[in-house]
Amino acid sequence: MKISYNWLKEYVHFYLSPQELADRLTSVGLVVAGIQSVEDDFCLEVEVTSNRPDCLGIIGIAREVAAAAGGTLHLPEIHFQDTNSEIKNFIDIAVEEPMLCPHYTARIVRHVMVEPSPEWMQKRLKCMGLRPVNNIVDVTNYVMIETGQPIHAFDLDKISDQRIIVRKASNGEEIVVINGARRVLFPDMLVIADGKRPIAIAGIMGGKETEVSESTRNILLECAQFDPGRVRRTSKVLGIASDSSYRFERGIDPEAINYVSQRAIKLMKECADGEIIDGIIDVRSGRFMPRRVTLRIEQLHKVMGVEIEKAEAVDILKRLQFHILSDGGTFVHVEVPSFRGDIYREIDLIEEVARIYGYHNIPTRTSICIRGSTKSKCEIVEDSILQFLNGLGFYEVKTFSIVDTSALQAINLWSDKESIDIANPLRQEESRLRTCLLPNLIRSKIYNMHHGVERVKIFEISKVYLAGDKLPQEKTCLSFIADGDFYSTKGIVESLLLSLGIFSKCEWKLFHEPKLFHEERTAVIFLDNKVLGYLGEASKELRFKTLSCLLELDMDLLIEKSNFSKKYQNLPQYPPVLRDLAIIVDEEVTWASIERCIIDTKVLSLKEINFFDIYRGKQIPTGKKSVAFNLFFQADDRTLRSEDVDIFQRDIMDNLQKTLGAELRKL
Amino acid sequence: MLNKLEEIKKNLQSDIKAVITLKDAEQLKVKYLGRKGIIGDVMKIIPALPEEQRAPFGQQINSLKASITHEIEDIIKKLSAGEIQKFKSEMFDVTLPGKHTSIGKRHPLTQTISDIREVFARLGFDVAYGPEVELEYYNFEALNIPTDHPSRTDFDTFYIKNDVLLRSQTSTVQIRIMEKQKPPIRIIAPGRVYRPDTVDARHSFMFHQVEGLLVDEGISFADLKGVLNQFIKTYFGQDVQMRFRPSFFPFTEPSAEVDISCSLCGGKGCSVCSYSGWVEILGAGMVDPNVFRYVHYDAERYAGFAFGMGVERITMLKYGISDIRLFYENDIRFLSQF
Repeated sequence: MKISYNWLKEYVHFYLSPQELADRLTSVGLVVAGIQSVEDDFCLEVEVTSNRPDCLGIIGIAREVAAAAGGTLHLPEIHFQDTNSEIKNFIDIAVEEPMLCPHYTARIVRHVMVEPSPEWMQKRLKCMGLRPVNNIVDVTNYVMIETGQPIHAFDLDKISDQRIIVRKASNGEEIVVINGARRVLFPDMLVIADGKRPIAIAGIMGGKETEVSESTRNILLECAQFDPGRVRRTSKVLGIASDSSYRFERGIDPEAINYVSQRAIKLMKECADGEIIDGIIDVRSGRFMPRRVTLRIEQLHKVMGVEIEKAEAVDILKRLQFHILSDGGTFVHVEVPSFRGDIYREIDLIEEVARIYGYHNIPTRTSICIRGSTKSKCEIVEDSILQFLNGLGFYEVKTFSIVDTSALQAINLWSDKESIDIANPLRQEESRLRTCLLPNLIRSKIYNMHHGVERVKIFEISKVYLAGDKLPQEKTCLSFIADGDFYSTKGIVESLLLSLGIFSKCEWKLFHEPKLFHEERTAVIFLDNKVLGYLGEASKELRFKTLSCLLELDMDLLIEKSNFSKKYQNLPQYPPVLRDLAIIVDEEVTWASIERCIIDTKVLSLKEINFFDIYRGKQIPTGKKSVAFNLFFQADDRTLRSEDVDIFQRDIMDNLQKTLGAELRKL
Repeated sequence: MLNKLEEIKKNLQSDIKAVITLKDAEQLKVKYLGRKGIIGDVMKIIPALPEEQRAPFGQQINSLKASITHEIEDIIKKLSAGEIQKFKSEMFDVTLPGKHTSIGKRHPLTQTISDIREVFARLGFDVAYGPEVELEYYNFEALNIPTDHPSRTDFDTFYIKNDVLLRSQTSTVQIRIMEKQKPPIRIIAPGRVYRPDTVDARHSFMFHQVEGLLVDEGISFADLKGVLNQFIKTYFGQDVQMRFRPSFFPFTEPSAEVDISCSLCGGKGCSVCSYSGWVEILGAGMVDPNVFRYVHYDAERYAGFAFGMGVERITMLKYGISDIRLFYENDIRFLSQF
């Protein structure tokens, strides 16, 4: 809301420079975002929060200044007396929807001369960024800015049948509004109609056909109250917003309507030289009942943490135009002014007192009780993964959870169900919740490749969104792109698991997802029979310039299986014995099966099995391979003799031969 | 036995290469020629040898001893004369650059969240999380933002279907925590939030917030000021000033926006603070009694405060970043700066 410094000064007495005024307003909650000098005036850009529609007019701001700076208010006075109801001869008004229009008033001014408005008025409107149109339209704008109450002027002679009906639109009815837009109306929308057609969308915009033009002679002035919710919905559906709808959506002062109507009609007479028809048509359902609220001084102290004197609280409330009904003892009982629709509870009064008292006057207390805080497992795991991967040269990235509908983004490693779409996306590029982190990582990698960084290792820890019941399942994943081959990257994964205290062996099986991964060198990883994730060399389709590996892991499973409890193990007392072995097996025999077979031999003193090489070549028959590894023996109770180990080794070899047809390779 | 002498010759050569200072050379002399030196040790073997081998072995030792003496004395002479480089076959250039292991970095937003978390952890706040795809109830209704209320426009929202949406604020976590837990409560909730804003230098349809909530008996606005003041001084610096301004949020009352003195201009006024000397960093307030009603807390017995801050905004302020899009481009040249 823009306000003119000079205009404001007319209504409230203060000695503040524009900058001081801005600071004062900011300190009571009306942030002044900017001050501009306009000719001999200043325009202040005030940010009015949505709970304070009463400050969408100069008078409302003047009330705040009076309360905050202690100045006296003097509002435009209107000496106005309706002597009869002559107006009834000119127009007939019916409100069919009293719920949506609780109060509707009309006045008439005749024989006006429509011409440019007086210079002082034009100047003020320009200062507020409004374009002067003519004296009648300018008065409606001027009074709206002044009071915060939107009003509308119709060309009386263009209203058919001398009737105004406030009703719901009929299905398919159309209107062209003053900005030239044509809209088809729906039956839940409220319109102002004459005998034939809608002539305005209630509270939003008037119709083109009844707008005031240079040839207009007689004016009907509407000043009314409309249901905020309905104005808001209609404005949204039709895509028409105006200064008027902005104010009606937030709510207007129900008791100011007659004052505003009189103020406007008087200004019209002054500016356009018209003749006011005596009387007002005033259709009102129900009466405004002012709210009464009690403030307990003790509660004020409790909430704010400072002992504001009762007298001071009462004074602040008075300055804010609350009517003090009684202030005996520990209570203050007040009546809320009609323009403060936001105030209906004790806490609302506490806030009023506090903001005028000044937040800066409230102490900064540091006496809350002490409390320990512990890191959750989830934080610990995330922190240690960050550290681990950073240490290996991986950069953490953050990418959007909302993605496009391309084939790459459609990859879903975690669920067969449909992905989740956004009902009201801004663009197709951001219209679906992602089901996989890797496509975005691939994009980041390519982005960096295009900017000259070829070898980039990146990772992200973030969520994917999988179809669920009421709400989707949000699965946290860890994904990375590494710059080595399958085995070197598998090594990273294995070390990572160990660093999280996950010692159970993972099962690795071949996996096929050719859009992301290499057709052969890709695995699905199982941990305790659950899918932990996927690791593979990058698909050739991705056209990376260097050998890269992609990984996506189920972070939730990692967190579940991680274990940071530690217990000291006695150091071994007796020396270990190391044996290198090379065996020849069929090509199909996997390392996992060799390892399983060795473990199944159940040699108690066997502590470790370490693979070190695979060899295919001259000395090895076709269709076979040589697998080399070492075995690490150690007993807890004695020094192993060479003969002992020979027996262990023979048992193991026998089992390998029996189970896998393995032969010891003679070196 | 001859092998033994060969070994000594070999070791000597590598020992000589390692000599850098005069002291090294002196020590080498003691090691080989000293009373308990290597040569002395070998001499002791002679009596144990068969008669006929003693003389030739002795001669060989003597000739070895002579050559060692010569070599070491030569080095000592050269070192004393300052001719260090002359006798070294390869120069060891300590000024060559080290071999680098590249290390990665945390994303600056992760760093900020972690810094914020650290400060609040010391004040006893635990970390809590909530879903990003939320029921309308948690994003609006339970936070005292009724349907058709103008304040809803402040939280423009992506919808999935009727009553399911992408949360537009982390305040949703407040409700989820209070539903599950009785006071006292002290949490912060970092996470992603979504609003349908067209992307530009200052807007992104996805960004991060950190929400805070403290509920207990006897908590007041003065405690809110105290806690946030601690945070601001710890995170931004002891000389940074804090300012509370009245504001409006549907789920807090009284509500405040909190500014800090502009660190760039020190409060004098610059383009970052729009020449006001202050920059807004968070929103806060006392939990509205209506919110307590939704989670069945007794608003007469308990009071609490909540606050929320934008992680991107704070990071941009802290490092002087002017374009929010940089956070999601993931350009290594950007990421490596933090």
